[in-house]
Amino acid sequence: MMIHPSHLKEAARSLLASKQRTILALIGIVIGIGSVIAMVSVGRIVQEESLRQFKEMGTDILTIEKEFGGGGPPGMQGAPGAAGGAAAKAALRLDTILAIPSRCPGIAAVAPSVRGSGDISFAGKKLERCSPMGVTASFLDINKLTMREGRFLSDLDEQSRYCVIGSQVAAELQKQGASKLAGSKIRIGNNLFTVIGVTNEVPQGGMRRFEPNEMIYLHITTGLRVFANAEIQSITARVSPGTTNNAARDQVMAYVASLGKGQAVRITSPEEIIAQMEKQMQMFTLLLGAIGSISLIVGGVGVMNVMLVSVTERRREIGIRRALGAKRGDIKGQFLIESIILSLIGGLLGIIFGIGASWLIAHFAKWQFALSFSAILLGVGVSNAVGIFFGYYPARQASLLDPIVALKSD
Amino acid sequence: MLTLRDIRKSYRIGPTEVDVLKGVSLEIQQGELVSIMGQSGCGKSTLMNIIGLLDRPTSGSFMLDGAEVSYSDDDALSEIRNQRIGFVFQQYFLLSRLTALENVALPLVYRGDTGTNSHDRCMELLKRVGMDDRANHRPNELSGGQQQRVAIARALVGNPSLILADEPTGALDTNVGGEIMELFKTLNAEEGITVVIITHDPGIARQCKRVAVMKDGVIVP
Repeated sequence: MMIHPSHLKEAARSLLASKQRTILALIGIVIGIGSVIAMVSVGRIVQEESLRQFKEMGTDILTIEKEFGGGGPPGMQGAPGAAGGAAAKAALRLDTILAIPSRCPGIAAVAPSVRGSGDISFAGKKLERCSPMGVTASFLDINKLTMREGRFLSDLDEQSRYCVIGSQVAAELQKQGASKLAGSKIRIGNNLFTVIGVTNEVPQGGMRRFEPNEMIYLHITTGLRVFANAEIQSITARVSPGTTNNAARDQVMAYVASLGKGQAVRITSPEEIIAQMEKQMQMFTLLLGAIGSISLIVGGVGVMNVMLVSVTERRREIGIRRALGAKRGDIKGQFLIESIILSLIGGLLGIIFGIGASWLIAHFAKWQFALSFSAILLGVGVSNAVGIFFGYYPARQASLLDPIVALKSD
Repeated sequence: MLTLRDIRKSYRIGPTEVDVLKGVSLEIQQGELVSIMGQSGCGKSTLMNIIGLLDRPTSGSFMLDGAEVSYSDDDALSEIRNQRIGFVFQQYFLLSRLTALENVALPLVYRGDTGTNSHDRCMELLKRVGMDDRANHRPNELSGGQQQRVAIARALVGNPSLILADEPTGALDTNVGGEIMELFKTLNAEEGITVVIITHDPGIARQCKRVAVMKDGVIVP
């Protein structure tokens, strides 16, 4: 079967000859392809979005966490020793941690942190949705935070009663009537802290294991002293330029092991987490695509229906063409071309529709819209496949018509 | 050029076998103008389908240009129809979506020939049947006689060795039918094209050089 421009022209003309039916079949295909494209595209946008938040901190960041020997839950403040009796490994000491950059050449800087709990209040009123955390001066840079006003904690603030607050906490203070943030006093447990700075707002999500906007930062030495059962559970480390994350991790592992005393840490690098996330996102996108495919099948059945009606209506034409020398393959090809053209036009409209829909979804969810070329390719490919798959049976029926019977029908 | 020997055709309708052709033998020479005449039901349509390679005989031999053709496969039969046989039907059978020119070009399309040559060839044939000024009209814009002229141009376009016309004037009034018959006679006389006309009308049959009369599935001597 050869495809001539005249074949395409004729196919287009016969589709135009029954506009209503063609349009109805098109709607089915447009919705089918459109929903697949929209689903896949939204999946991609969500994936890009979370990765973007994730990568914002840089991929040269390792998270070092204390390994819980007995599998006990994290955040055991208030429970002396190991909860449930399982022997927790001993926590790393602050000086051990601060020595990591000098002992491991692959690590440029470390930012240990300690989380605290307790009632937090300002001017006698309880502050909701905020939590205290003891950090070092390096914390600001490693976590890619910036100051909105005042200054961050420095190494000279050891044991001080200064604090730096996140933008959410600042807003909360202002709501409670603080005229000036700097100098305001916040009570954590039994201690009063003076605000010396406010960090800029940070978008949610990403690799940080805390919510920067809701934090009240103290110096880590203060935190270790005032928080109940405080111990350093999480360290963020920046890898030296030119060192791979794996090499840096091995150095830290070796260093921690050399300390003896049964100390152990779990180190996660962004690649692992990103790889994990991408895998999950792919499953998610696949699932969305599968849901969209159901409507695609419905659209395909619509194409098949239109083509079957078309074959029945054009039996005489088929007979004439056969008499004039058309082979079975020519007839089959003619109807296949029609259904493929129908599906491709539907596919193109569906791509536009699907991308438009995903743009709207991204717009309202405040995600960054991304045009997914693989989704477009998928749309073209799938609509072609739909045309061939659902057009084949009607085309075959047409080609198997007996020329005499076809000629006699009206 | 065309030799039928003892062609039989039977159809099974329900439990009974109906013999439509009961041993037709017929020889037609190159350049003849023959009519096959008979009442309806005599089997002339079945015979025409077999000569036109749209149907296969149950038994017998059909030689076209010296080669046995009846039992070839479907694609081969399509090719022979395309290359060597031109059909003219009672109801013209033009495709309504196509212009006269495009209708004439159809047999060439199935030869894979759609270039400028084919356009010129089609125009030449439209001119031959006096329809060149209507080349871009669609069938529903043409009268019955004009449509039949376009159909004849279509039958001629592929240079067939045989024109097979099934009641070509059956749907036309006497005057127009006469013009169409004149066209067949001219084509036959001037270009030596073999024409076989199937008809029930003795008036049409009389205009042909030779008449084969069919009755009850056989050709009456």
